[in-house]
Amino acid sequence: MLLKNVLVRLITTAITLFGVAVVVFVLVRVAPGNPIAMMLPPGATSEDIANLSALYGFDKSIFEQFVIWLGGVLRGDFGTSITLRQPVAELVLGRLPATLELSTMALFIALGLGGTVAVIGARKRDTATEVGLDLTSGAVLSIPDFLWGLIFVLLFGVLWPILSISGRIDPRIEFDFTTNFYIFEGLIRGRFDVVMSTLSHMLMPAMSLALPLAAMIAQLLKQNLKEVLNQDYTTLARVRGFSETSVILREALRNAALPTLALVGVQFTFLIGGTVIVERLFAFEGLGNMAIDAVINRDLPLIQGIVLLFAALFTVINLLVDLSYTLLNPRLRHG
Amino acid sequence: MTTQPHEKTLEIRQLNATLPNGMRLLRDVSLTLEPGEVRALVGESGAGKSMIGRAVLGILPSAVVHSSGDILLEGQSLNALRPKTRRSTVAKMSALIPQDPLTALNPVRKIGPQITDPLVRIHRWSRDRALKRALELLERVHIRNPERVINSYPHELSGGMRQRILIAAAFAPSPRLIVADEPTTALDVTVQKQILQLIRELQRETGTAVLFVTHDMGVVAKISQKVTVLFAGRVLEDAPTEAIFNDATHPYTRGLIAATPTPNATAEPFRPVPQDLIAQLQRDTQAEDMRFYQGGRK
Amino acid sequence: MVDATMPLRRRRFRVRNLRFWIPLTWIMMLVLAALCAPLIAPHDPLAQDLFLERLPPFFMDGAEPGYWLGTDSLGRDVLSRMIYGARIALFVSVIAAVSTGIFGSTLGLLAGYYGGWWDRVISRLVDIWMAFPPVLFAVLLVAVMGTGLTSVIAAIALIDWTRFARVIRAETMVQAHMDYVDSARIGGARRFTTLVSEILPNVMPSIIALLMLEMGIAVIVEAILSFVNLSISSDDPTWGSMIAEGRGAIHFAWWVLLFPLITLFLTVLSFSTLGEGIKKKFDPVLSS
Repeated sequence: MLLKNVLVRLITTAITLFGVAVVVFVLVRVAPGNPIAMMLPPGATSEDIANLSALYGFDKSIFEQFVIWLGGVLRGDFGTSITLRQPVAELVLGRLPATLELSTMALFIALGLGGTVAVIGARKRDTATEVGLDLTSGAVLSIPDFLWGLIFVLLFGVLWPILSISGRIDPRIEFDFTTNFYIFEGLIRGRFDVVMSTLSHMLMPAMSLALPLAAMIAQLLKQNLKEVLNQDYTTLARVRGFSETSVILREALRNAALPTLALVGVQFTFLIGGTVIVERLFAFEGLGNMAIDAVINRDLPLIQGIVLLFAALFTVINLLVDLSYTLLNPRLRHG
Repeated sequence: MTTQPHEKTLEIRQLNATLPNGMRLLRDVSLTLEPGEVRALVGESGAGKSMIGRAVLGILPSAVVHSSGDILLEGQSLNALRPKTRRSTVAKMSALIPQDPLTALNPVRKIGPQITDPLVRIHRWSRDRALKRALELLERVHIRNPERVINSYPHELSGGMRQRILIAAAFAPSPRLIVADEPTTALDVTVQKQILQLIRELQRETGTAVLFVTHDMGVVAKISQKVTVLFAGRVLEDAPTEAIFNDATHPYTRGLIAATPTPNATAEPFRPVPQDLIAQLQRDTQAEDMRFYQGGRK
Repeated sequence: MVDATMPLRRRRFRVRNLRFWIPLTWIMMLVLAALCAPLIAPHDPLAQDLFLERLPPFFMDGAEPGYWLGTDSLGRDVLSRMIYGARIALFVSVIAAVSTGIFGSTLGLLAGYYGGWWDRVISRLVDIWMAFPPVLFAVLLVAVMGTGLTSVIAAIALIDWTRFARVIRAETMVQAHMDYVDSARIGGARRFTTLVSEILPNVMPSIIALLMLEMGIAVIVEAILSFVNLSISSDDPTWGSMIAEGRGAIHFAWWVLLFPLITLFLTVLSFSTLGEGIKKKFDPVLSS
């Protein structure tokens, strides 16, 4: 039964990824503007263009191109970037750590901030404090990450310049890391200057991404907490002498977190989708920033690779969320 | 908080509770509970019997306006205490056996910590002592293989087992007072008997005073020494159990007793409490409310 | 004892009313500004004047009378550009939201009511669409279709239809199992007639609430596309292009970013608050 579920899940994931591949493949090929012509210096003959097109396989039909590309993808070969003239897989994996670190930091901020506000709201339920927190989180929720990014740039980049508004790290810092996980590797190697600089560069983009999700967690978790706090077992905990805060943290939080978690998973993929524009806004050298450049430069193999990677990331996260949901719920774990 | 030998375990004085819309849940309720005594609170649903237990334990619904009256636990007035001290005082002296064992255990936590947590964190016992006490009591409430049960989750256990666990948890810190809030209502008839038996045994062994909330006069006869009959939040009658069953003064009480189906008299048809009597009592209550509000407005 | 019987004040009720009227007032102001732009805008939004570049707003030293909110790097009047920008913003938001709504709701109704293959195909499409990062998708679509307002609107509809499809599909499925649908069918109504005359009116409140939300999103998407230089020509006064211009000149003239940003902020907030209000008003469970 469980095996069958996993199998069905894997097949639908494969279909989704295949669909994404088809859509993006067709889309970039109907786009006007010949990427090869853009590569060559002005005055190149049509023969030159045809030669180079043949080199990248653009002279074949879309269907043939797709089969060739898909065959490559299955072998781990995503083609070569037209503008950067490097293997797509290498380029994309080089940028992925930056985007992953950014989204993870944003997720932690969202969980911490949203969780705290939810607990305070539940603690102060049916008071003016709760109404105030509800109104605030409602407003924060409706403002998208792009606007938060602009607001932060203006506030903490210009009017009160305390944080850097562009890049991933101070370019003056010299270091030689094997991976592009600056924070992770910096911590392991004890290069705290790298970690601190990366964190301070990441704070504003991460906050922009985190705020809408934090507000959503605050609302949803508080709602779930309030429901759980009417349950008999929380009443019993109060009778046993536990303070309201203690009841919320020890008895209610885990029960309330379960239904919240399912939603946070979907929202986390939206958050990662948001890195595209937020990275652009903060000139942060991640995957999203590279993606927009690739679109503007008509770098077809690179666009395909990045979109597919994003899609894979989203589906993997959804899978992980379902898995952790099962692990955290004792009723599902045993039954 | 020193215990004097002749102190009453619980004394409720002129307790009133009102909803914001003016509906009165409790009307001048007074009662006492001697050490080691079992007092049944009986009445129909809505009579306020559970409210009394909740008021003692400090878990009235937040909408209830606690207007007046006082509750004394072993002579200590709860009104005189700050909310925080009040909560810990009440928790150290009393415990609750809840109505529905299916919802009274946290579904995502194991049984063990749900019993030992309050012992360690509120009563300041050592972890070993709490665990030993939990195992001892689980065995006492006839749970086979307690070591396995403390590592189980609630959904792995039957309703009867969960209620026995809740009884064990209530008796674990040796409280002076236990409020049993219709502890058998949600259970099967066969299990009901065992649970009732268990509460009575443990109560006798430990000498804990019990405030037993029920709507079932049959249960009253089995477990209590004293009975308080409630109607619409008002005490109608307060007497020793024997006296109630042999010679109840109030016609409503007689009606309640007559309405109780007895297993050995199946031929007898079921006779509910007469409607005209209930109507009369409701009129009385309304009249009293009028006096109450007119008095209050002066 | 008397206090206990007094009725409690209903604070939430008044808060909710304000939450309806304030956003509505702001949207109405925008509509007015858009309609009467030539009458109220103090300057030509396209007029460049290199002698008047980067003038600060009225409350700062060096402000020029008549240029209330200052000028940008090309000496164009920020206030006038914002007023004309309201035209484009409202045009895009209304047209994009309505087309997204029609497209997505239709698919949602079909999937939810007919089920079977309709549902399987549409749900699979939704899954595929949700696996795209939306901003990247939008950028890609506009790159394919070429810049311009039509492309922006088409891109929004082609990406965000999933939001309508998912919600309306779920609601239609609930409605389709209600007794009134059965009785209409027993009464001899055709399936399609039932869908249009019985189910559609019942999911309409959700559609309207989503439309409100979508209008706010459309304004943002236009701004994002302008920001990566893919909306319409940067001369045209859109809030997005002003923001892009302001981001570029942020160290010299922050007000070029500030004022369009505030406008965008209030507009998005208003649309979503109105949408929430509508949802609550029509939802029988929430409004009781």
